Amino acid sequence: MDRAQLSEELRRIVGPRSVVDNPDALMTYDSDGCVMDLHDPHIVVLPSATEQVAAVVKLAARAGVPVVPRGAGTGLSGGATPMHGGIVITTSRMNKILEFDARNERVRVQPGVINFELSQYLNQYGYQFAADPSSQKACTIGGNIANNSGGPHCIKYGVTGSHVLGLQVVLADGSVIWTGDGTPDAPGYDLTGMLVGSEGTLALVTEAWLKATRLAESTRVVMALFDDIAGTAATVSAVIAGGFLPAALEVMDRLAIKAVNDAYKMGLPESAGAALIIEVDGVDDGLDELLAEIVEICHRHGAIEVRPARTAAEQTQVWAARKNAFGAMGRLAPTYYLVDTVVPRTRLPYMMEQVQLISQTFNLPIANVFHAGDGNLHPIVLFDRRDPDQLHRAHEAVTQVMKLSIEQGGVISGEHGIGMEKQDYMPLLFNDDDLGAMAAVHESFDPTDLINPGKIFPRKQPGHNLAMQRRAKVNLGDEEENEFDKATRVIKAQGDNVWI
Amino acid sequence: MDLTALSRHVSESVGAEHVLNDPADCARYALCGATPNLVVTPGSIGEMSQVIAAAMSANAIVIPWGGGTRQAQGYSLTTDSEGQRPVLVARTNRLTRVVEHEPADLTIKVETGMTATAFDALVRPHGQMLPIDAPLPDHTTLGGMIAAAVAGPRRLGYGTLRDLLLGVTVVEASGRVSKAGGTVVKNVSGYDMMKLYLGSYGTLAIIVEASFKLIPRPRASATVWCAFESHTAAFDLIDVLHSSQLTPVAAEYLAQAGGVDVLGRLVNGCTMPYAVAVRAEGLPAAVERHLRDIPQFATAAGAVDAQILRDAAHDLLWARIADLPQTMEATSDEMVMRLSCLPSELARALQDAATIAERRDLPLLIDAHALSGVAYLRVSGANEALQFWHREMLARWPRLIVLAAPAAISDDLALWGSDPVGLNLMQRIKREFDPRDILNPGRFVV
Repeated sequence: MDRAQLSEELRRIVGPRSVVDNPDALMTYDSDGCVMDLHDPHIVVLPSATEQVAAVVKLAARAGVPVVPRGAGTGLSGGATPMHGGIVITTSRMNKILEFDARNERVRVQPGVINFELSQYLNQYGYQFAADPSSQKACTIGGNIANNSGGPHCIKYGVTGSHVLGLQVVLADGSVIWTGDGTPDAPGYDLTGMLVGSEGTLALVTEAWLKATRLAESTRVVMALFDDIAGTAATVSAVIAGGFLPAALEVMDRLAIKAVNDAYKMGLPESAGAALIIEVDGVDDGLDELLAEIVEICHRHGAIEVRPARTAAEQTQVWAARKNAFGAMGRLAPTYYLVDTVVPRTRLPYMMEQVQLISQTFNLPIANVFHAGDGNLHPIVLFDRRDPDQLHRAHEAVTQVMKLSIEQGGVISGEHGIGMEKQDYMPLLFNDDDLGAMAAVHESFDPTDLINPGKIFPRKQPGHNLAMQRRAKVNLGDEEENEFDKATRVIKAQGDNVWI
Repeated sequence: MDLTALSRHVSESVGAEHVLNDPADCARYALCGATPNLVVTPGSIGEMSQVIAAAMSANAIVIPWGGGTRQAQGYSLTTDSEGQRPVLVARTNRLTRVVEHEPADLTIKVETGMTATAFDALVRPHGQMLPIDAPLPDHTTLGGMIAAAVAGPRRLGYGTLRDLLLGVTVVEASGRVSKAGGTVVKNVSGYDMMKLYLGSYGTLAIIVEASFKLIPRPRASATVWCAFESHTAAFDLIDVLHSSQLTPVAAEYLAQAGGVDVLGRLVNGCTMPYAVAVRAEGLPAAVERHLRDIPQFATAAGAVDAQILRDAAHDLLWARIADLPQTMEATSDEMVMRLSCLPSELARALQDAATIAERRDLPLLIDAHALSGVAYLRVSGANEALQFWHREMLARWPRLIVLAAPAAISDDLALWGSDPVGLNLMQRIKREFDPRDILNPGRFVV
């Protein structure tokens, strides 16, 4: 099937006005928010119904052309980049909120619904969609599901996965299934759980039942200002260790404060070295006392000022400052590289020191805006990508942050995903057997690597290869049994620690 | 490798004192009357790996075994036509090490042979908890809780293991060891394999290590116990709780004809057939607010009594409630089930359960996580009557799974309810992970 035939068939499925194949227009789809590696798709479709997505997938399977799902393109790990070209299926016309069932606290949506719009819709009934990534005004629910997105409030409310009840998906053979509807504890393997966070590599989400979370009766927000970022990190560790359950604990450093002020005239005090945003919520009773205790911890760790956001408008402003910080980085440098790693929360103060050292070593400014309460760092390396030396140093700095995070017992992504950005870093965290188990899942869903190929698994070890190696090790004939026994002996000789 | 060679091989791996091969000794581990050939208790993950690798070489069947509290669940093992495959029980009980615990991180990584009680003793001094409320916590192991996706009353307030399990290490059917996740509270580095193993009933791999997110123990905790004469009134309270701004961590509906006496004796003079127990936890002022508002809601809904329980009475009540679904000590004429449905359907489902039980005069005990749409049902009687009850209920409520049933009827019941959607996909996953059908073959829905 040549490109013209493919294009014609796709026009027949989704309608002529829902196909993009003009080369200039295709460039818009060559990446998402991660611009390290750009690939044009062959063609883009904008379906408006599940049946159309299923028909496109069937056609793609027949033509042997990959499909790549895409939401708003705000992803930061290249999850929507068509690594091998193919058909990009964008969800922008599947943007309807279909049904809200208050009694069962669930809402059914299409994947192209914008996260913020869903929460706005639910607010009128006294509910929210609890996962609130900073990009929530642009990012889609489909993208949130693909990346298992977090956000400032997941320290209390959990990541996207905790709020997905069931998914309607198109599988690699074009069949459509619902994995759940909000009825708890279905027997069988948790397909919903496997699909969330699979970065669009297992199936295409076409509808979702999501959990609607009741808005708390009361909320208190304060911003504590410190001389330096170490004070915020120590405060966060102390708040966590003290057994408080805040709804958010977010840090911005001096560079980030400056950027936000420059861009949005937020009027944050630029003399402060760092700001810590603290939110507590729940029934009204006891919240003031709880906040007072947390403020006391702030003072004990060197807070120079604690500003309460008393009204809802003030609270909204504080959160706007925080959530717009990434957008404001353009004020500081032509390019930024936002790193996303997680460490155990007691390791935060150390990591902050190390990030400063990395900034000095590679001679690049690094801003910090992050979900401190979860131990989720977001160092933002500022540079100019037109300068090859700066680009190189930026990559080195990022690698260093990842290696350090792993060394401190952490992981290489907390909420942005692996995509193609971090696929070659996966072996730092996982050995071949660990990756092999993930590859076995991939093989079960998408044996021909039709859906979003070239992601998550290291470039040198695509999922299919890993799955085949794994199978070869299990399906041993009689003559191979000795080899297996030999392997067992080796394991035994090496003792227990070899595995861990 | 035949049984003798396998026995010798595993004895070399783990030490002969940790291998049972005498049928008399192995009988304690019998499933549906079938006694396993070997019961092996490895002392380390490396040893477990060797045992499972050897079992695969011998084409044996492996039954992963933690506390044994949920082994009554599931179909009989599928064996080969000649019944020649050796059956090996792989116990995790010696895998009880703490791998990492930095209390200030509120995370922990442990081996999964540890019991729920031992785990609680470990984290409690640090003011922390894993609020899963597993039945029989002295016996239930962490690995078993994960394999059976155990969840209890406080899932309403804290979620389930789905929200709290951060990482796992497993021994796969080949003996290969793999890990996933981590010991941090937020992680999207690769597929979320924890979700796959959680609730997989030992059919994909043996879970040997797990990392958990811990929750700070609440500063205050108390219960409002509300007794009702009617099912409808009890659910009126549930509905009011649902639409209020309160944040109870558990709301249990309990029903037993003739009075909820399993628990009622804990509560002065309660002889009502229906009760709702509401548990509040958190800041002292927030708990007091619940204790103030809920009795008022209950009275308005028609409760005949609303009592506040604190301290020892509160603790004892919830320990009893947590044990209600247990099946280790089910009587020989008893069937224990879990029904799940949308929360809005629960009142109707439980009404059906009671009506059908009345038709055959079957005693029925209900314990429902009323705002979560999950109910545990215990019904006892003659086999034919139990089959009737089950058939009638399953026709109306497809998500009805059997946790335990009399052996004579067990294999003829649809133990896992109606087939799940996506069964083909699940079977493909099973084939990838366990191509030789070593792990718990035939017992689970997949």
